[in-house]
Amino acid sequence: MPHPMPTFGSFSLLLALVLAVYSLAMGGASLWQMATGRAGRIAPERLSETARRAGIMTFAAVSCAAFALVWAAFTNDYSVAYILHHTNRDLHPAYKFSALWSGQEGSLLLWSWLLAAYGFVLRLRHKVDVRLTAHASTILSGVQVFFLLLLVFAAPPFSIQPGEIPPDGFGLNPLLQYPEMVIHPPMLYLGYVGFTVPFAFALGALIMRYPGEKWIHITRRWTMVTWLFLTVGIFLGAHWAYSVLGWGGYWGWDPVENASLMPWLTGTAFLHSVMMQEKRGMMKSWNVWLIFSTFMLTVLGTLLTRSGLVSSVHAFAQSSIGNWFYGFLVLVFCVCLFVFVRQRDHLKTENKLESIVSRESSFLFNNLILLVACFTVLWGTLFPVLSEYVQGSKATVGAPFYNRVALPIGLFLLFLTGVGPLLAWRSTTLRTIRRNFVLPSIATVATAIGLMFAHIRPWEDQSELYSLMAFSLGAGVITAILSEFLRGANVVRTQTGKNLFAASLQLIQRNTRRYGGYIVHFGVVVIIVGIAGGAFNQSTEQEVGFGDKINIGGYELRCQSYTQDSNANYDTEYALLDVYRHGNYVTQLAPEHRFYSASQTNSTIVANRSTLQHDLYVIYEGKNPETGKPIIKAFLNPLIAWIWIGVLIIILGTFVALAPAIKPALAASRVMHTEAVAVGSGD
Amino acid sequence: MGLVAAAVLTLASLTYIFWPAENPFSQRAKSRLDYLRERKDAVYENLRDLNFEYKAGKYPEEDYVTQRSLLENEAAEIMGEMERLERA
Amino acid sequence: MQISSFMHRLFARTLRHRMVQLGAVLFGAVLLMAAADDSGTRFNKIGHAMMCACGCGQILLECNHVGCPDSDRMIGELRTQVASGGDDTSIFNWFAAKYGPTILAAPIRGGFDTVAWITPVAVFLLATIGTAFLVRTWVRRRRNTVTTPEGIPVQLPENDAMRERIRRETEY
Repeated sequence: MPHPMPTFGSFSLLLALVLAVYSLAMGGASLWQMATGRAGRIAPERLSETARRAGIMTFAAVSCAAFALVWAAFTNDYSVAYILHHTNRDLHPAYKFSALWSGQEGSLLLWSWLLAAYGFVLRLRHKVDVRLTAHASTILSGVQVFFLLLLVFAAPPFSIQPGEIPPDGFGLNPLLQYPEMVIHPPMLYLGYVGFTVPFAFALGALIMRYPGEKWIHITRRWTMVTWLFLTVGIFLGAHWAYSVLGWGGYWGWDPVENASLMPWLTGTAFLHSVMMQEKRGMMKSWNVWLIFSTFMLTVLGTLLTRSGLVSSVHAFAQSSIGNWFYGFLVLVFCVCLFVFVRQRDHLKTENKLESIVSRESSFLFNNLILLVACFTVLWGTLFPVLSEYVQGSKATVGAPFYNRVALPIGLFLLFLTGVGPLLAWRSTTLRTIRRNFVLPSIATVATAIGLMFAHIRPWEDQSELYSLMAFSLGAGVITAILSEFLRGANVVRTQTGKNLFAASLQLIQRNTRRYGGYIVHFGVVVIIVGIAGGAFNQSTEQEVGFGDKINIGGYELRCQSYTQDSNANYDTEYALLDVYRHGNYVTQLAPEHRFYSASQTNSTIVANRSTLQHDLYVIYEGKNPETGKPIIKAFLNPLIAWIWIGVLIIILGTFVALAPAIKPALAASRVMHTEAVAVGSGD
Repeated sequence: MGLVAAAVLTLASLTYIFWPAENPFSQRAKSRLDYLRERKDAVYENLRDLNFEYKAGKYPEEDYVTQRSLLENEAAEIMGEMERLERA
Repeated sequence: MQISSFMHRLFARTLRHRMVQLGAVLFGAVLLMAAADDSGTRFNKIGHAMMCACGCGQILLECNHVGCPDSDRMIGELRTQVASGGDDTSIFNWFAAKYGPTILAAPIRGGFDTVAWITPVAVFLLATIGTAFLVRTWVRRRRNTVTTPEGIPVQLPENDAMRERIRRETEY
């Protein structure tokens, strides 16, 4: 046996496929038997149990395959074509590990493995609701079958390199040789794949005509964790783009970035509108379609990345794999539509609102805006294809389009973020609105006026106008959130006599979901403030010799030296720049330019000094061939650090929202107390 | 080597999947009572929220009284049916 | 208090007013964009409205590929074009003719390209009207007074034991 590990990997995938098919077929059959009351020779419960176990073993089998691929990477087994094309001997071990997802086949394997892992957890926890989990498990197996079919027939990761095996691999794309690239793709995939779980639960609940809304409660944590992974994944990607691509920005409205944003938008809409169903039993059909769409958008995102339908720097090599995804997408849509049409009477509800102005209606508008944003991104991403079809030539839909169309939508969403929490469930009267809106409105207007005094000129420049609106609305939203906290904390304080801090903590514990949500909103505002800082970016480009200076926004960069170096993995050129601010030495920056010999590619290593106020972001653009001196480009990007801080706040808020709430303990204890008194007096 | 590992994996899978289940699950179908219990919890949660928002100053008195009565009626209806079912 | 009245209006039924305001702001912003005329700003503006031809997928003035085969030449051409004093449209046309229409970073050629801009706005308007309509329909179904469906006020038994129990158990 010349290739033991690749053989084992291939076999594991094949076995996983067989197991997934079994889990799908037997799971489906047993559920059908249970629903119709027709039992075969084997009791449907037993059959269903084997299907569940087959699902669990799928995870084991896919894990073995993933292990085999990583093993091949670490043992430099270049007989595997995938390993040959994505690693080389001198690659850092962490990046050898990340080879698992740096190419088409490997990333599909990662996808499949994560799906199996989610399924594993779900099937282990089946006691929560055995029947519902059995439905969800069967649907997950269906999705799993698709990805395993791809891995076995369309994109096998263990294909053997024909002919003579080269002594060293072709190396990993240097752009991907960055710490975040080790965690960004898994995070994003965890988010993408994770939406399969709430999708499976929703579809399962609909198929079995699940009575009540408890299934939402069961899937709530899944949805939130998935949403968090997707959020973190997106921002890790943004941070990677910022720190590695070296163009001074973090978001380029590239089709692949858009592909990750779309399910995020619908997923966010789902997280909000599902509360209406939990609390009021409203919008059932809407929610079902939101989660269906979110899942289909994750598939569409993968389709966009892999089919070559739209051009993108992220895109994998064009391949026939796109057709598989088209087919799958159509199949998923048909299944969803079929189930919905058949069971739609189960979703019938009497939707009613007590008042136009209420939390409910603000959720409706929130959903509206998020979906319009999602549509806009989808429209912009697909317009080039449409344009080619209609007028025969492709068009580029780049940043200028989104900046003009998506930014106003974003600002409106920010506005709603501030308004929503101030409104009460059911109904809010104008008088209470007026009272609750005074402070946030003052904060908004005061910030706007203050900023105009601080030389922001919204009438001169569109981006300054937008950032002024973002800053002042942000101030309003933060005031609104703070006043919500204070109002709530005061209720707890008068009730318990605790100090404000302890009262706030107890308030959060009593309703983790609401206040965790507010913390997430706060994080979003902080991110938007960071983004709005982009209107005041400065940049300059200059050739520097020894002792030459670059001036940018109060900083002076003095070129101390420039030199070159080399190691087994790459050759490098870099400049050492001493940074002074108002004449005082601050730090030394060393922007770098690398040439990777294995993959024959160039890469820039950004030198960045990040403060809360701004980032001094310096790149080594190259050498002037005539003078031999380096060309340095320096950016001064205000407030960028706040974007990353905002993400941390979002993570914190989501954790708070995930924590179980404690029932208002005081009320309960008071009841017990009075009962005790009553019993006592009865003696 | 590879084939041995593959065989072990296959055998392990088959054994695990078809090992007789000690207690093959059987779930009691969700009764009307379970459903009502969930409904009651939801209405209670809404009432608790309403009381909180009233105390936090988001409701004028008269609005609060109306909304509370509506929710209390809903809860009372559910609990009435629950009691009837429990007695039966 | 401008904002607070703005907010009231949003939630009053006349959503139309808000749209007009928003429209005015956006229109103003677009005019402001067009008003910038000194050549440095124009160079910057046009350079940010085009892509680099090297296939990196970046805006022309932000393409930083070391040894990018196109960006230096294109930036040079842009400087010449701006200096020669043609208006924005003619510069865009010149580049589109030389490098193909995908060189423009946004669809601005008129014709079907306009659809790219109109559609999101149209969807937004339609969806807003739809949502407003939905809210109105749903509000009509409300039953905000404690009455029977026929409109006869229900007398709430104040000392009802169950009501007491509910109150006790749902105290915040």
